[in-house]
Amino acid sequence: MSTSPKFVYVTLIATTPEKLWKALTDADFTSQYFFGTRLESDWGVGSRYVFRTPDCITNEGTILRAEPPRFLSYTFHHISDEEMRKEPPSRVTFEIESLVDGSDLSGPVVRLTVTHEDFPPESKVFPAISKGWPSILSGLKTLLETGKPLDVQKKAIRA
Amino acid sequence: MNTKPQFVYSTLIATTPEKLWAALTDPAFTVQYWGGTSLESDWKAGSRIVFRWQGKIVHDDTILKSEPPRLLSYSFHPLQFEEFLSEPPSRVTFEIEEFTGISKRQGPVVKLTVTHEDFPEDSKVFPKICNGWPGILSSLKTLLETGKAIEFEW
Repeated sequence: MSTSPKFVYVTLIATTPEKLWKALTDADFTSQYFFGTRLESDWGVGSRYVFRTPDCITNEGTILRAEPPRFLSYTFHHISDEEMRKEPPSRVTFEIESLVDGSDLSGPVVRLTVTHEDFPPESKVFPAISKGWPSILSGLKTLLETGKPLDVQKKAIRA
Repeated sequence: MNTKPQFVYSTLIATTPEKLWAALTDPAFTVQYWGGTSLESDWKAGSRIVFRWQGKIVHDDTILKSEPPRLLSYSFHPLQFEEFLSEPPSRVTFEIEEFTGISKRQGPVVKLTVTHEDFPEDSKVFPKICNGWPGILSSLKTLLETGKAIEFEW
């Protein structure tokens, strides 16, 4: 049995795959639900991306797969924390499935599955992302469904 | 290493602990986001809790802990499928915390953590609940935040 930790989070969101893709890849959008972080890339396979906050770049990595609006995967290397910087990059994958196409009155619904894996066994990044993703993805869902962010502060997640 | 399966899911919801408690315990509310299931109990520790779906009782369980509006735990034993009947009951726990890590202009936000555990190692119920909870809890969050649940297929 593998002891490499793996994080999986599934959420249903009342939106379309296209709007969710934009929410994951548009820096103006990400800054509203991702602790104020702009995710910047051209989102082409092999391209570099950065997570940019007002103070610094917290993460960098490479786009591994990009199939809008269904599939996105990138390496994940946290670089603003000295300890986490030493760890090899992990990998995060977003899968977007259309559950309800929205052609009837109920409106469109998508299922977003976030899988974060390839951590070393004693990873320090893993516990951090296990706290971070549920808050980020809760805020993403709220923003897409209500138009208003939850406005979660990053320091609250670390506590 | 413990190989017993455990499911943990947390979500932030723009609501109050009291409203979330009501959403977890009021059958008129649960029926909207729980795939049409009505959860019926007096919600006291030791009391019976039944899940009613399309007129049939599909769970018949016991409240283990009840501390409104913070902590709720009950046994979990699905009755509607033969393959699940022989498994011993598992246990699901709901923890509700006020979430303070938000900016001041924001209204109240709570953190809900659902922990489902005490499954046998080769549980058949466990994979079902891993599929089920994210849908139910997504719909619950949407209902509390927008007034309208997400309708989804099981």
